[in-house]
Amino acid sequence: MSSVLKSLLNWLRSLFFKEEMELTLVGLQNSGKTTLVNVIASGQFNEDMIPTVGFNMRKVTKGRVTMKLWDIGGQPRFRSMWERYCRGVDAIVFVIDSADHAKFNDARVELQKLLEKPQLANIPLLILGNKNDLPEALTIDQLIDEINLHHINNREVCCYSISAKNQVNIDKTLEWLIKHAGSEK
Amino acid sequence: MSWQKKDADASELPLHLDKSMVLQEARIFNATPIMPRKCRILLAKIIYLLYQGETLGTSEATELFFSITKLFQNKDMSLRQMVYLVIKELSTISEDVIMVTSSLMKDMQPTSDVIYRGGAIRALCKITDVSMLPGLERFLKAALVERNAAIASSALMSTFHLFWQAKDLVRRWSNEVQETLHRKPGSGGYFGGSSSSASGTGVNSTVSVNSTMVQYHAMGLLYAMREHDRMAVLKLVQGFTSNSGGSRGFFGGGSGGGVIRNNLAHCLLIRYACRVMDGDVQSNRDLYDLLEGWIRHRSDMVSLEAVRALCGLTNLSDKDLAPAITALQLFIASPKPTVRFAAMRTLNQVATTHPHAVSVCNADIEGLIGDSNRSVATFAITTLLKTGNAESVDRLIKQISGFMGDITSEFKVIVMEAVRALALKFPNKHVTILTFLSNVLRDEGSYETKKVVVDAMFDMVREIPQCKETALSHLCEFIEDCEYHKLSVRILHLLGDEGPQTTSPSIYIRHIYNRVILEKSVVRAAAVNSLTKFAVNVQDSALQSSLRILLRRCLEDRDDEVRDRAMWALRVCDHQEASDKYVKDTSCYDWDALEVKLYQYCSDPLAAQEGAFNITLVPRLSKAFAASMHNKPSGALADEMDASASLPLSHGSGAKTAGRSAGAGDSGSAAAKGASQTGAAGSSSVVQRQEEFAQQLKRIPEFGQFGPLLVSSAQATPLTEAETEYVVQCTKHLFREHVVFQFDCTNTIPDQLLENAFVVMTGAEEAELEEVATVPVAQLVCDQPATTYVAFRKLQVDGTDESALQVLTGTFTTTLKFIVKDCDPTTGEPDGDDGFEDEYVLEDVELSLSDWMQPVYLGEPTKVWAEVGTPNERIETFALSAFDSLQDALDSVCDIMGMLVCDGGAKVPENAVSHTAFLMALYAGQIKTVVRVRLTIAPQTGVMMELGVRSQNALVSDTVMEVVA
Repeated sequence: MSSVLKSLLNWLRSLFFKEEMELTLVGLQNSGKTTLVNVIASGQFNEDMIPTVGFNMRKVTKGRVTMKLWDIGGQPRFRSMWERYCRGVDAIVFVIDSADHAKFNDARVELQKLLEKPQLANIPLLILGNKNDLPEALTIDQLIDEINLHHINNREVCCYSISAKNQVNIDKTLEWLIKHAGSEK
Repeated sequence: MSWQKKDADASELPLHLDKSMVLQEARIFNATPIMPRKCRILLAKIIYLLYQGETLGTSEATELFFSITKLFQNKDMSLRQMVYLVIKELSTISEDVIMVTSSLMKDMQPTSDVIYRGGAIRALCKITDVSMLPGLERFLKAALVERNAAIASSALMSTFHLFWQAKDLVRRWSNEVQETLHRKPGSGGYFGGSSSSASGTGVNSTVSVNSTMVQYHAMGLLYAMREHDRMAVLKLVQGFTSNSGGSRGFFGGGSGGGVIRNNLAHCLLIRYACRVMDGDVQSNRDLYDLLEGWIRHRSDMVSLEAVRALCGLTNLSDKDLAPAITALQLFIASPKPTVRFAAMRTLNQVATTHPHAVSVCNADIEGLIGDSNRSVATFAITTLLKTGNAESVDRLIKQISGFMGDITSEFKVIVMEAVRALALKFPNKHVTILTFLSNVLRDEGSYETKKVVVDAMFDMVREIPQCKETALSHLCEFIEDCEYHKLSVRILHLLGDEGPQTTSPSIYIRHIYNRVILEKSVVRAAAVNSLTKFAVNVQDSALQSSLRILLRRCLEDRDDEVRDRAMWALRVCDHQEASDKYVKDTSCYDWDALEVKLYQYCSDPLAAQEGAFNITLVPRLSKAFAASMHNKPSGALADEMDASASLPLSHGSGAKTAGRSAGAGDSGSAAAKGASQTGAAGSSSVVQRQEEFAQQLKRIPEFGQFGPLLVSSAQATPLTEAETEYVVQCTKHLFREHVVFQFDCTNTIPDQLLENAFVVMTGAEEAELEEVATVPVAQLVCDQPATTYVAFRKLQVDGTDESALQVLTGTFTTTLKFIVKDCDPTTGEPDGDDGFEDEYVLEDVELSLSDWMQPVYLGEPTKVWAEVGTPNERIETFALSAFDSLQDALDSVCDIMGMLVCDGGAKVPENAVSHTAFLMALYAGQIKTVVRVRLTIAPQTGVMMELGVRSQNALVSDTVMEVVA
């Protein structure tokens, strides 16, 4: 009986109190952050994008969860501002172009720098290896090695290899994100 | 936001906002979910603080800015608008404002809701920098032609501000601006839907979608883009004239005649039309007709603007002015005080230049003296003072005295300036005016007011001999109870100068000595000096001895300076020679020249080692001459200020041309000295100018061997009309064996680059000259004056002084030759290598006697006349039948000579039957030359002139005589 009541209550709550979560997308320039946001929001893939100057904010509702997506520009001059937008969010999403071998080093350094910030301790991290549709893209295991993910052990970390273009693993990503809605607060 | 309304009367602020508290509160921006209402109020508080002058540090502002960015994309419209406002405020203080670029670009997209798009555009243009602009270009261009007026206006205004940072880029958008300018408002067409949705969004959309304001903004922007291209501005103006009368405008055709829908835009158009005319009516009759037509516009504002523009033009005949005056006459009867004020102010201004034209309105203006608006009344009075005739003076003065107590001191100053002008205009009315002035002096008043009154009295003392003694006694009375010691000192100085010559100096002495007893040390010292002048200049020996007693008493003064001056005075009184030198001396140094020399001395580190400052190098002027110099600019300045206050347009263009001519005059240091040179174009700056020329010429290697510069012609002669493609002025420089012609050239065509420009002169053989060098200008960029020279050697010079000083006369035909290249008007880069040769015929250059004369003041005329003496005297008498007045004859003689006319001799008193003037100059910069001109006029014989020439060189005397004969 109580379980029935509980589920009823949950249903009611989902009607009136939609859960809201905040996510910040960071990563080097041209890794596909804005494209990914568009795909998540509208399911449309647009090849022709201009670099994000500053940030974009999108609100996306998936089921009972409203996601506020902060998509921050990845050019060097914006990287110092990543931290500001990562404070207090439910999860940080770090997007990597898994086909751009020249930039892995930069990406690792930038990620490390970001995770060192005391203000961001314990915030779950999702690494996305984007563009896995390209032939020279790394596999998920290669990527984990390349970015040294094994060394991050003070927070929850997850890594997926996705393709915004072909919508590969986007559903998995969303699932992971929704799972973390409000969980850390 | 009710609190914002309450503190409209700022006397008592209901809000005690503390900056740190507000910044603390800013945490709510980070809260999830966002509370729009709270955030909005807090944003308003931040703006309030900033507008109150509170400053934010960079880190505070940055912190605040980033927390505000969290509020982006909120659904609450008002919150969005507030966010844009705050971002605009923070854009200059905070770091990394570029962060919001992408978000703002998203907000200004046509897809987003219309209300806040304007705000987004404005904020975006504020935070962006020039390097980002190309990325925004597409969006801004789209916004410029947006149908919604609020958005188009935002885009236009933002573009206007961006224009000054990125002129080239913004110029590319002029088609869009043009389209918006000529578009019919609300012509919905295929996009009509957007405007209806805007009006549907609710209370916030008070901005009319169909506002014609957008035309005003577009016009301003378009003009800013084309400001320097006269033809383009003309086209802009004419774009609106072809069917300006019609109520139906064509839509769509950018080139078709436009319709002016907005009154403010119309006013702008009038101003631009005016600027195109460049103040000259006669060459722009069609534009004049246009202005005249606009006077009948149904809006007061447009009509007034047209009237004001018309009145600001130069070369106006009274007939041209008539429609404007008629309109003004109607306006001053308007029930609206603003209209009355504007009309009255314009009339007042016209009255300065065209008193006759205004006098038809006198009856109406008199009705305004009692106007409840004091500003209108003051302008009415001053206008009447300008236009009035002698009969009305008494009445006017009476009326002014009636309301002097009611007006503020600024207006008192205006009125008193007018009275001052009146006093000089009608010397016969001095009794009335003096009484009035002394009454004003007696009343309470600010320093400014009293100063103007005292200045007026000084003028009267100087100009109207009949009233000298009365005026002086009024001034004496004033200093008995004067709280402004600056004025006391000036009056004491004047008393010292004028008092001794009056019939009873003892009256003044009593007043002056009272100062020694009663006043503070500055005034006491001035009083002692004044007494000294009396002691030296008074004839009566009894009075002299009592003055000495008074001065001796001053030796016991508490103040060092006063005692020293008294001591010095007593000594000087006893020595005839000393008193002649120090007290009776009528000359003074040329202060401008002294300043320049002292500045040079101080800035040159070697000068002090070489010796003390040599004061004898500074030219001396007669005091009367210096005073007239000093007075003239101040009067002119007052007029100019008057004009600039009410007519910024004409003043602007005037200043520009003045600047240009000064720039062409001496390219070296024109900007700094331009003003002083044009102001004191007479003798005071001659020496200074020549010094500068000498410096410039010395730098040119071709002229290195020519020796010292003897003399430069006093003024640069223009060889072209003022408004032609190329403007050239000629200055002549004389050396012992050479003549150098300096041509200051200005290219006024923006898309042309002239290379290798030089002047070809023919006619040298007749003048016994031989060309030795030509110094061309390598590049002549638009509006950057440059100088080319042509040098000649004198053929008849054989080493003797006589031959070197022989006057040269001759006429040269001159042609400017150059290679023309097309260039980009903005960068000045030539388009290609292929220029072609071209030439431009200039007016003839003449060498004449006046070029040899350096008009400088040598000393008191009669003394110099005696000093130069008779050895080289030539006296001849001429009958000048061609002239029918002494003034004309004198003017033409002075013109030929190019010499300095001494001590007011240039002006022949009215109705005089004879006149004597002394002219002096240094011939070739070294030989003292004095000319005495005696003119008589008789009905039977006409003008007779006796010309006496004395100089230190016989040849010069002969030459001068020859030239006149």
